[in-house]
Amino acid sequence: MFGRSQIARFLIMPKPNPDAELALHKLGQRIREGFAKKHPTPDKSLETVRDAVREQYAQEQEAERGKQPAPVAEKERDPQPPEPDNR
Amino acid sequence: MDDLIKLVKTYRLTVGVADRLRLAEEIFRLIEPDLRFFVFRAIQPPAAEDVLQEVLKAVATGMKKFAGGSKEQFWGWCYRIARNKLNDHFQRQATTREQPMPQDELWQLVESSPQVSPLSPADRHDLEYAMKLLTTSKPECYDYLWKHFVFGLGYGEIAEERNLSYDNVRMKIGRCLDEAKSLVS
Repeated sequence: MFGRSQIARFLIMPKPNPDAELALHKLGQRIREGFAKKHPTPDKSLETVRDAVREQYAQEQEAERGKQPAPVAEKERDPQPPEPDNR
Repeated sequence: MDDLIKLVKTYRLTVGVADRLRLAEEIFRLIEPDLRFFVFRAIQPPAAEDVLQEVLKAVATGMKKFAGGSKEQFWGWCYRIARNKLNDHFQRQATTREQPMPQDELWQLVESSPQVSPLSPADRHDLEYAMKLLTTSKPECYDYLWKHFVFGLGYGEIAEERNLSYDNVRMKIGRCLDEAKSLVS
């Protein structure tokens, strides 16, 4: 059985320092969570992202169209075979 | 695999614009707050808002070409873009760089996070200790510890930013941590 003085000593005994790296990681996570909670993603940011995605998509489509050969050029590169000679 | 990198990988392979928009929104809802925190820690509003929008645009445009395969690599890439945009801003404006965040502001952020996941007495004890480590360290160490533990940047990213080797950064952070521990105890 613990005596009263032993219990009191246990209660006032300073807690050992936690693992420093772990504690700092935990703090970092809490700070980021707290910031994210205070500043949820605003519409302005999502609109910037949407515009960028649409713009990039349009550029890709444009580039695709640029790669496809024009119909006239196609004809020139791939001429029709000559008419069979039926003589 | 982590949700974020799954979304990024799917985005890279997605052709249709409607699907890309949906995925981009999901990705940016996850990453925007951390990027906002990174930028707003470095510069003051209203300039910070403009720089943040530039960062978001650059990340959204570059995501198709992002070649990494892990969440850490993706964050490293995002922070590299953010850092470059901040450097452009510093060159244009000759503004002063970030100052340590006041401790009461840090606690306000910590206090507002418990609704996401509750803060136990043991957690509070750990966080108080971590806060002491951070706030008692010297300015250079504060910067290293802040970047590594609060922003979550890897040694590689910090090394790139500081033009140092990976091992050099690893050792510096280790020394800063030891120094902070000795100051606190």
